[in-house]
Amino acid sequence: MAKRTLQLTLAIFKPDIISHPHVVHNVKHMMLNDDFLFVRSKRMHLTRSRVQDFYKEHEGRFFYNRLVSFMSSGPISTHILARENAIVHWRKLMGPTKVFRTMHDEPGSIRGRYGLTDTRNCTHGSDSDQTAAREIEFFFPEFNIKDWYSQYESQFLQRDRLFFDEQHDVHQYCEGNSGQQTQHQQL
Amino acid sequence: MSGIQIMRNKAMMSMVCARCFNTITKRFASRRAERQQKREARMQEVIQEKGALSEAAERVYVWGHAATGALGVSTYLRPESRVHFPLPEQHRPARLRFMDENHIEVYDIACGYGFTLFATKRNRRYMVMGTGLNTDSQLGYHEYPKNSGRVLDYIIEPVPISLPGMTDDKLMNVKQLACGRAHSLFLTKEGVFAQGNNSYGQCGRSIVEGEIFHKVSNIQKIEGLPDNISKMVCGADHSLFLTSDGKVYSCGLGADGQTGLQTYENVGQPERLKGDIDGVKIRDIACRADCVLAVSEAGDVFGWGNSEYSQLSMVTSETQVSMPTHLPVRNCGKVMQVATGGSICALLNEKGEVYVWGYGVLGKGPKVDMLQSPSLLPLPLFGVNELQPEVKVTEVKCGMSHFAAVTDLGDVYTWGKGKYGALGLQRVTVQYFPLKIALPAFTHRVECGVDHTVALSRSYA
Repeated sequence: MAKRTLQLTLAIFKPDIISHPHVVHNVKHMMLNDDFLFVRSKRMHLTRSRVQDFYKEHEGRFFYNRLVSFMSSGPISTHILARENAIVHWRKLMGPTKVFRTMHDEPGSIRGRYGLTDTRNCTHGSDSDQTAAREIEFFFPEFNIKDWYSQYESQFLQRDRLFFDEQHDVHQYCEGNSGQQTQHQQL
Repeated sequence: MSGIQIMRNKAMMSMVCARCFNTITKRFASRRAERQQKREARMQEVIQEKGALSEAAERVYVWGHAATGALGVSTYLRPESRVHFPLPEQHRPARLRFMDENHIEVYDIACGYGFTLFATKRNRRYMVMGTGLNTDSQLGYHEYPKNSGRVLDYIIEPVPISLPGMTDDKLMNVKQLACGRAHSLFLTKEGVFAQGNNSYGQCGRSIVEGEIFHKVSNIQKIEGLPDNISKMVCGADHSLFLTSDGKVYSCGLGADGQTGLQTYENVGQPERLKGDIDGVKIRDIACRADCVLAVSEAGDVFGWGNSEYSQLSMVTSETQVSMPTHLPVRNCGKVMQVATGGSICALLNEKGEVYVWGYGVLGKGPKVDMLQSPSLLPLPLFGVNELQPEVKVTEVKCGMSHFAAVTDLGDVYTWGKGKYGALGLQRVTVQYFPLKIALPAFTHRVECGVDHTVALSRSYA
């Protein structure tokens, strides 16, 4: 098996920024500028029991209840991201959970810029390969990680042939004349 | 000059030949000396020109994040000409000309996360206006053009908000406004109306799972409240109501105990708060995010809700407090007013002194970032000096992580961490002590949103 160079991770835009379209726009551009590739995107509104399922590992912590009621309070958007060392980089770009501290310590991160409070903190990211696989499976049951690595990873490595589809929030692979596509990518 | 004259002048210019050019320049030179004399004479005179707008009049000043439209100045987002660029952030107080150009008098304001409400009066007609973000219908249903199906998510200039069943006469009854993260409350003689996001019950009606708040009209009267509501305050996702006899009711998000109803569940029906405030006449409540402070007529301070950043650590080490708890505030004099933000707290006493505690940029210099109990901000920072020893702070307000204070001289002081220019101090984003902002009017009221600030002022005559 060829060595995997791209890593997959799951990102969630939480209800607080989904209701602020200009913040979503800015966050996406921060991600694109940091070389993240959008493999799949989905917008959904989770029910309380689905969120409880998703955050099973936090059950019993003091913030569990408020996290669940917050995540089920409005629409969210979920994204499978690809990048070299994606998990670490995505968590770095997000910044730490505690927004009021992050605001001072890492004002350039997503949470430092757009975070509202410790729960209303813009985004979520997987913390390891296993959780990423579990969370991708949770939101994208139709997506097969193995198949993606064998069939599509090579396409996603050719950055000059990818352009970002703003409407569907995914990177599309394009064959042929690449001059036009670099223009798209810069958008 | 009329068109014909201009044409004639042009024709004359073209007729000037080289011979008479000399005489013209001579004549021009003599006229120049004349003009110089006239100009000097004019300099001697003292002219006081008084226009129609120079009389003292109510003004609204706005600053902070403009990209949401919350500032209500449409030219920031839609420049009038191609020469100008859009302005996503306004870092200094700017006059909201829309109000005085249309002769609208604003008597109450409320700021949410990316939107602003104004209670206004124009030629004896009262109306509520709103501007800014409308993704949760917190400003109501605005379709433009009518019947086109194009419902506005962003409103960049104040628009009237219609309250149900309200003729002009009844609209006079809007007494107060309040805004949370994504909901608005209107206090009228008919009762309290709420619109916007109700996913935690903050609009005072039962929670419907999966309800869509986007592009709908969902204003409703809150049932189950007494008739004598005198003040409403919104946290991020909950609402508090104060009656004229000092009782407190609340509904909405309760995950941190911020409703004070001794539960951590969300509550969709306003209920009366008990705990330490039972039987105490409450004078004022304050909340911006998830920590609530209240002050009684006697000057006792009570708190409940989130305490992750030592806001309530005077009495408890818990991070969540669901019961109104008395805070033993010592050496602060008689407390008159309180204010809270996301992780910051402030109180104002009878003498007009401001005390702060919590976590963040508190105004005590760059080294202090955490205070467990109230600490005085020296009055000289608010302009007290030998020439004006009597200055008092009359109002203190908190944004999510910044403070604003108004003194009896009508000056506004801001400090803290202000995103997008919410401090109004030009390029300053972190201000470690109170600093007066350049606002050319007498301010009597200031209101902080999450990332913008609005001031009600009176221009100097």
